[in-house]
Amino acid sequence: MPDIEPFSPRGMFHEGWTAEVSDYAIACGWSLKGKQFIVGDVAGGIFAFEGDTGKIIWEKENTHSGGLLAMAIHPEGEIFATSGQDGNVQICNCHEGKVIKTLDLGKGWVEHLKWSNDGLFLAIASSKKVYVFNEIGEEKWISEDHPSTVSAITWSNRNELATACYGRVTFFDIVNNKTNQKLEWQGSLVSMELSPDGDIVACGSQDNSVHFWRRSTGMDAEMTGYPGKPSHLSFDDSGKLLATSGSERITVWSFIGNGPEGTMPGELCHHTEPISSLAFSNKGMLVASGSRDGSVVASFLKKDGNGDPVGAAFAGDLVGAISWRPDDCALAAVNAKGVVNVWKFKVRTNLFSKGFK
Amino acid sequence: MSINDKVPVTILTGFLGSGKTTLLNRILSEEHGKRIAVIENEYGEVGIDQGLVINADEEVFEMSNGCICCTVRGDLIRVLGNLMKRRDKFDYVLVETTGLADPGPVAQTFFMDEEISSEFTLDGIVTLVDAAHIDQQLGRSDESSEQVAFADVLVLNKTDLVSDDALDTLESRLRDMNRMTRIIRAENAKVPIETVLNLSAFDLDQILKRRPTFLEPEYPFEWTGVYDLDAGKYELMLEEGPDPEMSLVALANQGESEEELKDGAESSVRLYAEKANTLEPGNTIPYGEHINLKLEDKGNKSFILNIEKPLKIGLFTQHTAEEFNMKVIKSDENKEIPFNTERFWQAEHEHDDEVGSIAIERFGDVDPEKLNTWMGRLLSEKGVDIFRTKGFISYSGNPRRIVFQGVHMLFTAQPDKEWGNETRRNQLVFIGRNLNEKEMQEGFDKCLI
Repeated sequence: MPDIEPFSPRGMFHEGWTAEVSDYAIACGWSLKGKQFIVGDVAGGIFAFEGDTGKIIWEKENTHSGGLLAMAIHPEGEIFATSGQDGNVQICNCHEGKVIKTLDLGKGWVEHLKWSNDGLFLAIASSKKVYVFNEIGEEKWISEDHPSTVSAITWSNRNELATACYGRVTFFDIVNNKTNQKLEWQGSLVSMELSPDGDIVACGSQDNSVHFWRRSTGMDAEMTGYPGKPSHLSFDDSGKLLATSGSERITVWSFIGNGPEGTMPGELCHHTEPISSLAFSNKGMLVASGSRDGSVVASFLKKDGNGDPVGAAFAGDLVGAISWRPDDCALAAVNAKGVVNVWKFKVRTNLFSKGFK
Repeated sequence: MSINDKVPVTILTGFLGSGKTTLLNRILSEEHGKRIAVIENEYGEVGIDQGLVINADEEVFEMSNGCICCTVRGDLIRVLGNLMKRRDKFDYVLVETTGLADPGPVAQTFFMDEEISSEFTLDGIVTLVDAAHIDQQLGRSDESSEQVAFADVLVLNKTDLVSDDALDTLESRLRDMNRMTRIIRAENAKVPIETVLNLSAFDLDQILKRRPTFLEPEYPFEWTGVYDLDAGKYELMLEEGPDPEMSLVALANQGESEEELKDGAESSVRLYAEKANTLEPGNTIPYGEHINLKLEDKGNKSFILNIEKPLKIGLFTQHTAEEFNMKVIKSDENKEIPFNTERFWQAEHEHDDEVGSIAIERFGDVDPEKLNTWMGRLLSEKGVDIFRTKGFISYSGNPRRIVFQGVHMLFTAQPDKEWGNETRRNQLVFIGRNLNEKEMQEGFDKCLI
């Protein structure tokens, strides 16, 4: 990558392990409560590594003909789901990678998968439809056709699912099969995040803006001025900070007080090329970002959304996905060359444990 | 990433039944050593034989400002976004649009979406035209005119179903609508692969090389021949041609350099503006006058040229010499004198269609600020009707020329090669609907320093 000197982990990033998968790695996540790390590559290869050592536990090739598009690990960490261009979803066992159930949804790409927080439901978006299945692959609910392809899905609480598509966000009660709320905005919504309490709906839009709604008050607002489309959004666990990016900068909006309307957002400028993945830690105001330039940075944020880098590393190529271990004591990044990097992350507060055992 | 590292994309468009799928299958089955990904709409006409084919919905997104000039294709962004991750496997991408689709949102996606534009480059737009049916379609549907207007290459297909004359007429009508396009005739979509791939369609130098006259002003004459003649009597002999008469201006002391030819053309334009004197066969041709040769009679017709002392004469003729097999013959020796130099000019056409092209060519530098203001206003007011813009500009103080291209309101400009010793100039082409040539030229002239 231009202008970037390879460098070893710095700050709170410490040497962990590296491994390699067969192709461009696009999805990853921690399973078995952080004991295992699973990576999916674009060609449909799935690889499970030992969380502490990086030792390969099992691997599978060509799980989805045409390619893999998404992966979601169940909150309990015992099973996971993958989907692809073949229109299929596979629910697999994390221990051996064995397929428990294959769901055939037709010929459309299956681009989005989300387990509900309690793990009872798996939401699946394919083309204009959204499906909900239970853990063992039984169909529980199907949406009507949306006006266009569903671009994002997320669970707001136990039984409520939010979907975003061109021009609107819709909340469905999937148990009682009714529509709870429709939030409309003429624009191509490309990403969606909900605050942990489900009240704030933030969407990145194709025309380089972030649009958000507060469900409790019905108020909505638009944040413009992004140099690119904000395809990466992440809320912190308190729902007070929303990190967004549509370029090499991360813009952080603070919902504390009367914000973010009329306030100046925080800005983090650590990367030389646009952000390709963004994730708040599971606890605390720590945000990690991966960039097309191959760098990964973690920053501690203040209440106003500004912050300082506390750790950084060079992953070698465009960062496809990043993932905090459930205890936040390790951060993983997978890249376009299929390289997996896991760094120990040691924090100096009592709130966090002290890294690997 | 430089433009050369980007994966080139060709957009293939054309009305239903024009032969898009046949052409696609030809491209895919030909031995070209390229790995081509084909993205086609859900409602493809016939199946594709081979190659990676991805179905895409027809998903056009308007932006929240409601500007229809800034629409993009959501399906295309998703599909290309995914291809990007497997780019080592592809050298080329072909996007086939449905017969009724406006190519605009497809082309705009390559300008509007920064992730797509950082990895892919729009190499060109190829429009297939059904020679037997396009004539009716052009009058009836906006989409077919737009597809012609967007084209870098027009494949005039099914030529076997139409007479040569009809083809000539059609080609000239299409040429009027889009002066920049390259027109290729084909039967059963049989065209060499290099005519549709690697077009570098936005490379104006290439376009100029292919059609040196496309940016020129239009003249009331099509051809000039310069003859080096000794003193004596000569005959200008014409056979039967497509017209019962032909206008002509003969200039004495006509030089042969490009600059002298252009000077001669300017003088002739002024003379052509005056009423023509009609000459019967056997009459003597006067110099520096607009005359009209009567060519109604059968067989050869001769007009006299009297040369008192050796000189070069330039004949600026309404039609080309070839059309009448026109010759200059030294009377006493009965010997044909070949021309020293010939030059073709862009001839004036009648513009019947609403869609047409405008070219502006001016020497000198422009003031970047004034140009931005003018261009910004032009595109915001007329963006819906301006389909394509291409050109290069000389910014004052900048050693390199600025190359730009655009679709509707969106355009990109970037520095290109250095001017060096070349005369600094500006060439702009606009293709669109109901464009006001005079107003646009005047607008641009105000940006010149």
